[in-house]
Amino acid sequence: MTATAAPAPTRRVRGAVWRAGGRVGGRFGGFWSSVTAVGAKELRGRMRGRRAFVVITIYLLLLSGFSFGIYEYLRQQSIQAAQIPIFNGGVDVGFQPGMSTQGMALSATVGHAIFSGLLLVETLLVLVLAPAFTSGAISLEREKQTIDLLVATPLSTFGMVLGKLLSALTWVFLLILASVPLASIVFAFGGVGPEDLLRGYAILFALAFGMGALGMFMSALVRRTQTATVLTFVAVLVLTLGSMAVHEFWRVVTTPVTTSTNGFVSVSAPSRPPEALLWLNPFVGDMDLICTTAPGGYESRTCGYVAQVTGTPYFGGSTPVDNSCPPMKCGVRLEGAFGVGGDVTVACPPNARCAMAPVPMPAGGGGVVFDDSNPGPIIQPPVATPGTTATLGFPRDTFWPHNVVGFVSVGVLLTLVSSQLVAPTRRLRLVPSRPGFLRRRRSAPAAPLATSLPEETIPASDASGTYTAPDLDPAVRSEEQS
Amino acid sequence: MSVALRTEGLTKRYGRTLAVAGFDLSVGEGEIFGLVGPNGAGKTTTLKMLATLIVPSAGDAEICGFSVRRQPSEIRRVIGYMPDTFGVYDDMRVWEYLDFFARCYRIPARRRRQMIGDLLELVDLGEKRNDYVQALSRGMQQRLCLAHALVHEPPVLLLDEPASGLDPRARVELRELLRELRAMGKTILISSHILPELEELCTSVAIVDRGRVLASGPLDEVHARFSRGSVVKAHVLGETEDVARAQGFFASQPEVASSELLTDGRIELGLVGSDASTADLLARAIRGGHRVASFAPATSDLEELFLQITARNDAPSDSPDPGLETREVAA
Repeated sequence: MTATAAPAPTRRVRGAVWRAGGRVGGRFGGFWSSVTAVGAKELRGRMRGRRAFVVITIYLLLLSGFSFGIYEYLRQQSIQAAQIPIFNGGVDVGFQPGMSTQGMALSATVGHAIFSGLLLVETLLVLVLAPAFTSGAISLEREKQTIDLLVATPLSTFGMVLGKLLSALTWVFLLILASVPLASIVFAFGGVGPEDLLRGYAILFALAFGMGALGMFMSALVRRTQTATVLTFVAVLVLTLGSMAVHEFWRVVTTPVTTSTNGFVSVSAPSRPPEALLWLNPFVGDMDLICTTAPGGYESRTCGYVAQVTGTPYFGGSTPVDNSCPPMKCGVRLEGAFGVGGDVTVACPPNARCAMAPVPMPAGGGGVVFDDSNPGPIIQPPVATPGTTATLGFPRDTFWPHNVVGFVSVGVLLTLVSSQLVAPTRRLRLVPSRPGFLRRRRSAPAAPLATSLPEETIPASDASGTYTAPDLDPAVRSEEQS
Repeated sequence: MSVALRTEGLTKRYGRTLAVAGFDLSVGEGEIFGLVGPNGAGKTTTLKMLATLIVPSAGDAEICGFSVRRQPSEIRRVIGYMPDTFGVYDDMRVWEYLDFFARCYRIPARRRRQMIGDLLELVDLGEKRNDYVQALSRGMQQRLCLAHALVHEPPVLLLDEPASGLDPRARVELRELLRELRAMGKTILISSHILPELEELCTSVAIVDRGRVLASGPLDEVHARFSRGSVVKAHVLGETEDVARAQGFFASQPEVASSELLTDGRIELGLVGSDASTADLLARAIRGGHRVASFAPATSDLEELFLQITARNDAPSDSPDPGLETREVAA
């Protein structure tokens, strides 16, 4: 039989669409046009009317209010601190960076606090919004019975999924980018540099992609949007709270109990659960950034957690002085508590933004100084030399790049899987010329039915003699049984 | 006439249920082919298999020489599919709807604009161009859906219950539209359980029930083979006794298998024989002095045919009619 693929000549509808099909770009062109077609359609619906602009306005107002709140809070605190001499003079409040005795680093502290606050709030927003925008993408098409119209077109399902994902992400990215001017306020306060802000946005963008793909995957996996949304947010909770809880539980359970002895702190070896447990937890990446951008070169609570997660040793004091890292030999660290008297020099950790400050180091105190490049302690206690300085800080980029890599790879993977789940007839076939292997494998056990079923289930009426179906083509039947 | 679409043992099995049990259909180019059957006969499943939305369990179908199983992406370019139930997107204007589908078929931007205008004019929605799709009436949405199936100028159209849920006026308009499409040279496979709408439209039909093709072929051919007479309603004027006399007359005639007196001077007659003998019967009745005001088929021909064929299928004990056989699949 000859193909009659060419369109019949038509009276009104002009245009050789047929040629367009096989025209420019080949497979990639088809894929890309699918992305733009679906993306344009989705964006059109999303950005229509005032809704999008109202949402952005409210979002920015909330973020501004939040930042202003942080600023006001810290200002009040510093005024109080300045008014109460006992805090000013006697007590070392240096472990809260910026609450220094002279109040000199207050500005940088405000900058850091606003940066940290915005980072956490935006992480939370992206964590909620990105999956919420995508968790209905495919299932809504099913519910509204529009999916058949799409699947019956030559649209590639990967292009379709990617188009929907990109349009949802465009909206999330727009929200993230809209916060850039606000976040730049931190530059006015100082303490946080543009490169820190860029790191923060890298996490947010990767997070949006990963979580968007997660919602898309759930949407393609189950039939109903409601189920997809619930599953998505369960997964989000598992990735954030769940992963932290499991990590902590693992650490506590597996850490051996150590005892300290006479004046020397015994160097215990706390167990370190696999760091990969937290690779999809954006908050740990946030903590990494918050830790390493603190005016003191480190921030105790977040750094403590990140150090524990990544196994990064760190040592820090309290008095921030300088934001530049001196070119020193890296990888030397101190462990343990030193006694009274004397200072010791500790090199800056690799890639850390350090503060140089003299830290009173005890001569004759206890502790171990390690050089990471050489195995074993290089200085045995009590050898800390009096009169030397310790450099403070925490190595940068120990954790958050893992977040970014994690989100991006999970996003790519889930997008690919989603495109396979959109429609049963649109799955990749390993052997393209034969019926889908998925289908064949499933139908194989049912093969005996192929011969017996028609006679059984259908009354052998056939009075009209018109029914010839049970006599399937032998080729077809053998294929069913194979 | 070359064949635009044919199926060979097309089968779809869901668990132990056979939704479609080996359809052998053949649709010539330029035909309007009606798939007639009650709900659950397998019409929608068949059309979905043809539209590459469902993978057949067995058998295959060819559209324009492409195999549904092996060349689904080629199939998608040569068919325009209109599902029986379909949704519309919110927040989308009529022209955007068509523009979107035109993009799906990779129609260049410069051609889309012109084509959308033409299509909207064709389906009589030119004035609704900037309206939101969800604000259109049901009939308009049906026409828009039909227009969407035409954006890539497919030679074959698969229309699943295109007239369901339409008011009579919209149905007539749809029929006109389908005629117009046929005049453009499209091959149309249309499914329906509303028979009168197909009767005036189709060149060929397949009568299906419970997953099987009971009869298929050109409409008149099927009719000639399967029809065992028809039911006619006669309206006789006069007093009650005149009507009773008329009924007595009809009952005594050889062409009349049954006669039943309805109210208001109407008599329902079950007739056997050809149209010619029916005409003779009417002529004799009028010569006999019966005042026949109307004498018309009680149901449409296709409806009657459908009822007869499916009834026969329901009662397996019926003696097989040697004159009946399916039209062989055209090579």
